Amino acid sequence: MIGWKSRLRLTGWLLGTLTVIFLIYQWLPIFTLGLLSFSGPTGGTTFPMNGTSLHWYEEVWRATVMNDFKPPLLRSTLLAAACAVTTIVLSTMAAQAMRGRFRGNGWFFYLMLLGIMAPGILVGFGFAIMMRLLGVELSWDTTTFLVQVSWTLPFGFLTMLAVFNRFDTRVEEAALTLGASRLTTFRRITLPLIVPGVIGAGLFGFSLSYDEYPRSMFTIGPDATLPLAVMAQLDRQITPEIYAIGTMTTLFSLIAVTLCTFGLWAMRRSTSLRRA
Amino acid sequence: MDTLAQPSRVDEAVAPVLARPQLDLELRGIRKRYGDFTAVDGISLKVAKGQFVCLLGPSGCGKTTTLRCVAGLEEPDDGGVLIGGKEVTRNPPWQRDIAMMFQDFALFPHMTVAKQVAFGLEMLKKPKAEIAKRVHEVLTSFEIAVLADRKPASLSGGQRQRVALARAMITEPRILLLDEPIGALDYSLRETVMLELKLLQQRTGISFIWVTHDQNEAFSLGDLVVVMNHAHIEQQGTPEEILQRPATAFVAGFVQGNNVFRGRVVEVTAGLAKVATAAGSFLVSVGPSPPLAGDEVSFSVRAERITDIVSDRHLNVLSARCTAVEYFGSVRRHIFERADGEVLKYDQFGAHAARIAVGQRSTLGWQPEDSVLHTGRVE
Repeated sequence: MIGWKSRLRLTGWLLGTLTVIFLIYQWLPIFTLGLLSFSGPTGGTTFPMNGTSLHWYEEVWRATVMNDFKPPLLRSTLLAAACAVTTIVLSTMAAQAMRGRFRGNGWFFYLMLLGIMAPGILVGFGFAIMMRLLGVELSWDTTTFLVQVSWTLPFGFLTMLAVFNRFDTRVEEAALTLGASRLTTFRRITLPLIVPGVIGAGLFGFSLSYDEYPRSMFTIGPDATLPLAVMAQLDRQITPEIYAIGTMTTLFSLIAVTLCTFGLWAMRRSTSLRRA
Repeated sequence: MDTLAQPSRVDEAVAPVLARPQLDLELRGIRKRYGDFTAVDGISLKVAKGQFVCLLGPSGCGKTTTLRCVAGLEEPDDGGVLIGGKEVTRNPPWQRDIAMMFQDFALFPHMTVAKQVAFGLEMLKKPKAEIAKRVHEVLTSFEIAVLADRKPASLSGGQRQRVALARAMITEPRILLLDEPIGALDYSLRETVMLELKLLQQRTGISFIWVTHDQNEAFSLGDLVVVMNHAHIEQQGTPEEILQRPATAFVAGFVQGNNVFRGRVVEVTAGLAKVATAAGSFLVSVGPSPPLAGDEVSFSVRAERITDIVSDRHLNVLSARCTAVEYFGSVRRHIFERADGEVLKYDQFGAHAARIAVGQRSTLGWQPEDSVLHTGRVE
């Protein structure tokens, strides 16, 4: 018979192993795609790789009119950046409003979350119909942007709610009694304290918009975003070029997240070491 | 209590600057409701220049809300707040000559000690060099100069308290509001900190308004003690007045060491009222406006005024069984069972040898003038 502490250690090992297996399961497909993107010019979309090269990356760069991914990539990046900024601003404002408890704040909360619950295809389709009725021309930077914000905003909103939930209001009150106006208090006290949440909301805004497909499908107009362009390409023929795009996108995201984390860490460090 | 407090008027806002130069704070019947709950119900208070005022009461009595109304963190529904004779009822906190210390100090987690302390001066748009000089002075005088570059998370409770105090005092406000300022400190630190704060207050001449539920704090610090209960003021006065002449049964019961009796006046003769209570009939000396026979009244006797060596002068006697003895070093407190089910406390100075053992029956007595008839409302 072993003691409960030893059993606890055993359970720890068991759960740890399970976690590692799960993480491998999660990341292996992406890793596989990344690996295949480096296959030779005659390589296909499955193993064996038929040599290694940067051929498919060159392909992405040297694109023909038919399968040029650079304009969709640019559009998707701009759109994601715009969604990130909008999500940050609106979700911070909405979460601030929720702190104050206004009439109907319960309804407001659930209506905001509806953006997460509602099926994307229906939202996109409904929005497209509405725009058609109103005579608004569909375009990636107007209609798609609006629909995507309705999707990314609730995630940012939940993030900011969680941040404000742990926020000590008396810190703001202390600033007010020390002579700071509401705006100064927000700028000098509130904002620096919620920066991690703000970055989180921004990351949600960016990443959710960047790979959004169903909501873009009906609202996009003539110029496609990257996911739509990739799907169109998949309909025609699959080459490792798609994998190359996927790998670059993943790398780009990883770099962005790392930079954010590092920036946050550096900021903490500099404020704690700075001489008065 | 004035139940019809006038809402503040514009003409009052300009006039009183010269009329009341010596008042640091005046509250005129302020009232604050949250839905159905009345947090503050017509509080009026005058704080003279450089006075140390303690708002004392049980939790939920409205003392913190009153303080927040002074700070401008709450807006009273009606009534007026005047700081330095100037009407500020509708002013935001940043347009009032106050500073506030919060219970858990509410330090800015992302700022170093020096930055926090500089904050108030930065808000006043003082030149950078002057701020740096002042901050250094203040940090030195509060003995926290070595902590200048530390952040709150790495400070001890006592250090945080000093930082919070330095941050609040640096702008030399007219009034410092303190919400349970030492409640978060270790018990052993409190006495020292209390003394330091009292000395600081006397040296600077800044009015302190100190909210607490701890009567030791209130009585040892306050020039003026304001006892609050259920959103109103029960009694305000010097510590001596409140300890020796409690105005209501609540005050008498809330303040340590009182024995409260409730009963009906049987007769009033020659400065004495005979009050029939569930624990017996007692004679209580009455003031210039005595009660009438048949009135419901309450009175109290302090535990140290009672004696177990009863003589002819002790017109009030009561026989009871001792159920417990508490020893406080300077005082030995005996708890007796009263006939009405409540307890009777009798304090004997600790230097004397113990005379009463637990379980023993004794006869206790006190003179009519040892008891205080409560003049305030009876609950």
